[in-house]
Amino acid sequence: MLTRRDLIKSLSAGSAMIAAPGLVKAQGQPTFRIGALNPITNGSNYGAGMQKMIVAAAQAVNDAGGAAGRHFEVFAEDDQANPQAGVLAAKKLIEINKVQAILGTWASGVSLAVAPLTNDANIFLMNTSGAPALSVPPANAKGLLYRFQGTNDRWGRAYYQAALKEGFKRPATMALNNAAAISVTEGFSAAWEADGKKIVEKVVYEPNQASYRSELQKILAAKPDVIVMGSYLADLTILLREWYQSGEQVRFITPTYAANPELVKALGADVVEGLISVDTVPNESATAYKLFDDTYRKIMGQPGSTNSFAAMTWDMVTVLALAMEAANSSEIAAINAKMREVANPPGQVVSSFAEGKAALKSGKINYDGASSVLDFDARGDVKPDFGVYVFEKGKMNRKYIVKI
Amino acid sequence: MLYLQLVLNGFVQGLVIGLGALAITLVFGIARFANAGTGDFLTAGSYGALAAHKATGSLLLAGLGGVAVSALVSLLAYVLVFRRLMGRSVMALLLASIGVGFTIRAIHGLLFGHGQYVFQVPLSRPYIVLGMRISPLDLALMLTAALALTILFVILHVTSIGRQMRAVADNPELARVSGIRVKRVMTTLWLLAGAISAVAGIILGIKTVVTPESGWDMLLPLFSAAIFGGIGSPLGAMVAGILLGIAQELSTPFVGFTYKIVLAFAVMLFVLLVRPRGLFGVVEGVR
Repeated sequence: MLTRRDLIKSLSAGSAMIAAPGLVKAQGQPTFRIGALNPITNGSNYGAGMQKMIVAAAQAVNDAGGAAGRHFEVFAEDDQANPQAGVLAAKKLIEINKVQAILGTWASGVSLAVAPLTNDANIFLMNTSGAPALSVPPANAKGLLYRFQGTNDRWGRAYYQAALKEGFKRPATMALNNAAAISVTEGFSAAWEADGKKIVEKVVYEPNQASYRSELQKILAAKPDVIVMGSYLADLTILLREWYQSGEQVRFITPTYAANPELVKALGADVVEGLISVDTVPNESATAYKLFDDTYRKIMGQPGSTNSFAAMTWDMVTVLALAMEAANSSEIAAINAKMREVANPPGQVVSSFAEGKAALKSGKINYDGASSVLDFDARGDVKPDFGVYVFEKGKMNRKYIVKI
Repeated sequence: MLYLQLVLNGFVQGLVIGLGALAITLVFGIARFANAGTGDFLTAGSYGALAAHKATGSLLLAGLGGVAVSALVSLLAYVLVFRRLMGRSVMALLLASIGVGFTIRAIHGLLFGHGQYVFQVPLSRPYIVLGMRISPLDLALMLTAALALTILFVILHVTSIGRQMRAVADNPELARVSGIRVKRVMTTLWLLAGAISAVAGIILGIKTVVTPESGWDMLLPLFSAAIFGGIGSPLGAMVAGILLGIAQELSTPFVGFTYKIVLAFAVMLFVLLVRPRGLFGVVEGVR
């Protein structure tokens, strides 16, 4: 039972959180200001963990004495996974908080909308979005965008590998109507059709519909043996529930950010049985991953494997700090010139900021990240590996790893 | 056969739109402003029903719980906000209602988080009638909606408070001088608007997932149906909602799924341009 007092308490706690300015405070000395712009509300369950890992990684940098003599100060905002809200928050971060980097935009629409602002301000934008447009101008006109996630094109090719391996012959695709979701299924279609094979049906659907039955009817009429989905948790929940009740036999390949334990909780084990879920796999054997995982467990009370995006934001702060330390400057251009140098080989492999800071005194380093080996190509993209999972009796079991 | 199935799919969609539009049109007819908080009354009903369902395990009690919560939220909105603004301009009330909606959404976010909730209803295979797939759940939802509508129309047309409400809707000044207590009418109005929103919200919640934004996202089709049906006409809102739902689905073989949403707005535009009083509305004189 919720009493009035509880309500007031939770309301005031909420507003206190919103009002709190820098979450990691550095006193006395010059600071480097970063904006943590993550999807806290609306549609994603990853944002809170992503933001807390930015704060935690910044704390680790400060505990090690800061980068290039500066402590990190974090300003947190909610982009609501919504471009409009993201732009407003980014404007505030840039104009009022004077941040020098924005970290952790998640939805492609948000990253694409915020990029012109960070470019105008000549600051970094590090994202976990998939849209291919983020690799190239105009979004990445200044080379200040870094993507810690596989591009959607890569996601599509990972689906293709999984579909081949499972022996499917008649795939169809369904995608939510936004740039990111459509580019995932297009990546799949391009790979599939490159072999001269056919996609039996393609459907694009709108979010927030009371029912997707007509959409399903159209796709099932083409008799596919697998439907490749570019979708998110909410729409996938509604779609699968209606599909199951239709009694038609077909299997699904979906991204793990849509099909995960939350989905099982919503639909039950029977509905998701046999569903194939694809995700980037974090760099599980790396020391950096262990550090991240320990921190995530401590702060979020769950294993780090439940939030691959949080591993990415953890890496964002660490790599940024290492590049700053290597540049021995807080100038954006100088830091940017060092980003690949500290993240890519050659160099001594390091797993944390403290370790890297020490190793930089004696030569080049190569940060081996928590989210991937974290080597940036010329476009600022990384190439993570993908895991293919199958739902069996309500459990998500990893079957194999696909390297693209 | 495809088209018949589409009509049926659209009908269920239309129920949600129609019931929500009904709540908007009731408030508009009597309190004389467009309540943009209606979407969030829907959500309040969904969360209320979810909580009651979790506590009791009974869908019937869940429905009643949702109706009670949403009616209460609606009444609170009236007592705390709208009553104080009565007599102000329509714009002031509209803006206030956007604020009320925003507040309700924020409270939902704080209380329940931003993850999705679903009603754990048993899944079932559809009946096949004349080649059409009719899900038992949809049938149950249609019956529920029909029951709720019957109760509402009985209240509006048979009871004394209903007659008083319609009198206020027709002419508030005349109603007041004939001794109708406006406060009582308003209280009943807001309780009814909340209750009917809850029915829409619960159907929407059972069909889809519940998030703090789910009702707000429905607001535009609801307005569209309220205008189409003739603003202030409960029957019109319901008919227009169902027609809109069906038209949206029927358009999909021709325009595809992404453009069916546009249809709602095309209809709204057309009605505003060609027949501003809508399906069942009356022409209002200038007072």
